[in-house]
Amino acid sequence: MPLPVLHMLLALSEGERHGYALKREILRRTNGKLNLGAGALYGSIARMLERGLIEESEERPDIHLDDERRRYYRITPLGRRMARAEAVRMRQLVQLAETCLGLPETA
Amino acid sequence: MTHLYRILLRFYPAGFREEYAAPMERQFQDEYREARATGGSARLTLRALADLVVTAPAEIARELWQDLLYAARVYRRCWLATALALAALALAIGATTGIFSVLNALLIRSLPFQNPERLVELWLSPTNVSLGRAAFHAWRDASPYLADAAGYTTNEMNLSLARDSARVPVAETTANFLRLLGAEPEFGRGFAADEDIPGRNGVAVIGYGLWQQLFGGDPRVLGSTIRLNGTPLTVVGVAPRGLDYPQKTAVWTPTVYDLERIPKSGAWAWQTIGRLKPGVTLARASSMFDAEVERANAGRGRPIVRGYLNRPQLFSLRDRLAGPVASASLVLMGMVVFVLLVACANVAHLLLSRTTERRQELAIRAALGASRARLTQQLATEATVLTAAAAVAGMAVAHWTARLAASAQPAQLSARQYTVLDWRVMAFALGLAVLTGIVFGVLPASLIGRMQPRQDAIRTQPGSKGPSRMRGFLIAMQAALTVALVAGSLSMGRSFLKLLRTNLGFRADRVVTLNVSLSGSRYETDNRERQYYGAALQRLRAVPGVESAAAVSYLPLISKMFVGGRYWLDSGEQGPVSLVIAASPGYFRTMGTEMVEGREFTESDRQGVGRVVIISEDLERSFGRGPLVGRKLDLRWRGAPQRDAGAIALRVRPGGKLDLALRRPSQLATIIGVARSQRYSGPASEGSAQIFFPIEQSPPGFVTFAARVRGNPEPYLAVCRDAVQQTDRDVPVYDVKTLDQRLADALARPRFYTTAILFLAGFALLLALIGTYGVATWSIAQRTREIGIRIAVGASPRRLRGMLFRQSMLPVGAGVLAGVLAAAGLGRFLRHLIASAEPTGFWTCVVGASVLATATAVAVWTATERIVRMDPTAAIRVE
Repeated sequence: MPLPVLHMLLALSEGERHGYALKREILRRTNGKLNLGAGALYGSIARMLERGLIEESEERPDIHLDDERRRYYRITPLGRRMARAEAVRMRQLVQLAETCLGLPETA
Repeated sequence: MTHLYRILLRFYPAGFREEYAAPMERQFQDEYREARATGGSARLTLRALADLVVTAPAEIARELWQDLLYAARVYRRCWLATALALAALALAIGATTGIFSVLNALLIRSLPFQNPERLVELWLSPTNVSLGRAAFHAWRDASPYLADAAGYTTNEMNLSLARDSARVPVAETTANFLRLLGAEPEFGRGFAADEDIPGRNGVAVIGYGLWQQLFGGDPRVLGSTIRLNGTPLTVVGVAPRGLDYPQKTAVWTPTVYDLERIPKSGAWAWQTIGRLKPGVTLARASSMFDAEVERANAGRGRPIVRGYLNRPQLFSLRDRLAGPVASASLVLMGMVVFVLLVACANVAHLLLSRTTERRQELAIRAALGASRARLTQQLATEATVLTAAAAVAGMAVAHWTARLAASAQPAQLSARQYTVLDWRVMAFALGLAVLTGIVFGVLPASLIGRMQPRQDAIRTQPGSKGPSRMRGFLIAMQAALTVALVAGSLSMGRSFLKLLRTNLGFRADRVVTLNVSLSGSRYETDNRERQYYGAALQRLRAVPGVESAAAVSYLPLISKMFVGGRYWLDSGEQGPVSLVIAASPGYFRTMGTEMVEGREFTESDRQGVGRVVIISEDLERSFGRGPLVGRKLDLRWRGAPQRDAGAIALRVRPGGKLDLALRRPSQLATIIGVARSQRYSGPASEGSAQIFFPIEQSPPGFVTFAARVRGNPEPYLAVCRDAVQQTDRDVPVYDVKTLDQRLADALARPRFYTTAILFLAGFALLLALIGTYGVATWSIAQRTREIGIRIAVGASPRRLRGMLFRQSMLPVGAGVLAGVLAAAGLGRFLRHLIASAEPTGFWTCVVGASVLATATAVAVWTATERIVRMDPTAAIRVE
């Protein structure tokens, strides 16, 4: 699973977001390290929709707060399971690295 | 900036754009506003651009892949129609590209000369190198239209090196020949200006191909000695790669003023080429040349064959080298483009009907939110897939077409070989494919544009008047073209059959032919040609299976240049210019030529006994004196040498003087026989006045041996060759072929064009059938509801069928009428393809028209069959 996709799933697991908000959230969480361009962002969204990891949400938080052009996405149960599985896989990988390389417990 | 970004967003494919263009633009707007506040707008723009460059191609590829999968599914569903469309487009694109490759080679690709457009050929120029160096130079220097002029003659000669020997085409030229063309030697040097003066002319420039072949590309070739017909020459240069002008020349020598230097025999022409003075147009030069001819031409002999090429003319060298192939190819190109258009119209129509059938599907997709752009993109992809596949298959067809054209009418220069592996041809094919895709891809797509989703999703609309009128026009155009092509192909086919059935005056089956030339050999030096011919014939006749064998100086179908002569009958009548041929005993029997009267040569017609001749039927007739056997001909030569297409008979013996072969002592010869006239240049030519001398009484320097064998001549080729070769290892035997093969070569050109136009006509007919059937089916499908209602209220299905039949056949009828008119015009163009093509006659047109009318009527009748079996209640509920 590409890193941006995992980040997007993680961000969405905390609530519905529209594309731009998603991008900003990821930017904040990675301390500006992962800055998704519009094409990459929506390309990933398109593919995640296709695979059923996320879905479009019909509810708008508030029609006055936000204009109609914005689309909100939420994570599906499948998306949640995939994110969890990916996280487990990564944890195992990190554990393996620790035993092999003797990394300190926390950076 | 935001505005620019919106434009850039169009690089994304339709589906993606439709979904995400708005939020992306919105996001960019927000970010840009923020960035401007913090001063990072330039960075943001760069970032956005980089993002676009990376992600847009990926999105395009993804969507394209979807479309492709979808297109494949669509095409699999109607594979028959798809296969038909594919085949039609591939053939049409391929044939067009193939013929373009010929035109490209002949008219577009440049010649291996400098400023080739300024080069001219002075055909049958009255002033030529035969007048001598001083006179030729004086004429050239005084010429008001030529900056420079050069002369040459060509001949095939035996080239011998230390170990190898070969038969090569040689050009004997003036010293400035290569310089005039602007063809600098690959290395070494060209001829110095005074190297065509006798005594200094023992030099040669060899062709690049020959250098590679016989010298292995060894640069030490410079300064080495080669022998042409036994005469030693020093190699001073190698011609540039690809230069083989004139007539596939492999060796150039500056000996044109000194023809005695290299012994040879044959008939050939003194040719003149020139470079125009700056500022002189071709037309002006041409009129000045004509005036020159006019002045010089008083009191000259008439040519043997009168015709277009037998009067002096100034040609652009480029046109001369392209020759009749170019105009023929242009005519073919015109026809092929027409057929391509018809094919496009048909495929467009095919896709159009399918689009109509798919209207509901598309409308539903539209209603579900697919944008027009998305659907258009889908249809465009489908069209592109089809044309791309057709173009790839078409390249194979094109390659094959070019090969076929090359075998029928090869280019005169190796630098102009027809090939599809040329960027212009590739670009042409690509352009054609793109254009074709647009022509039949845009039509259906534009239909989508007019689609109204809500109505269409629920019920199909009867077709609007516009497109159906368009269809009628397409069908009419197609019918007209098909009638013209069918009529044209019928008349071409008929004249080709006539060629095949022509009585040649000889029988071409079961004859093996081989050539030898004794020029420069020891037989010629010692005047022992008779001995060689006699010995070779003896060996040939001893080959098991050979029924009879003979030697002849000019065999029909071999030479394009002949020796001509005029003779007087003993009673004083002058005969027409006749072909002069030396033949051995048994020649007429071997060729299967009937003797009308008298006998043919026997072994008793030897040197030292009374001279005898045999004349052709045509010659006897032209004297108008009744049977001539037993009468005498005066063989004395009077007057100036005669020309046949610029050719003149020459016989140069080693160390001898230039000997005009026809200059004979006054002598009477008895006519011992009259033979059927042989058609020397093949079935398209006329029989002519011919006069045969016994080979023993006037031995030529070269002969063709002909042997009539039992059964298939192919296996005899090698045996006969060996038999003649064994006579003397040092005399090369070349050009070993069956007479049938030579006849096939002579017929290759008419066969190619006849096949081409028959193929085009058949193809057009097939397309017309598919077209009319398709339109009829489509219009019935469109009107199913209406027809159902009509039947339900009591209309007879039979009468309805008749009505639809009439409506479908109306445009066909109009087209047929137009086609008959077009056929008359086409007939005139066909003469460009083969001279023997007959004008398209009235009955040919009628046959062509009825073939098309019958075929389309059957197609439409079949298509309307559904109506008779139609269940009105089902028809009304069709949606």
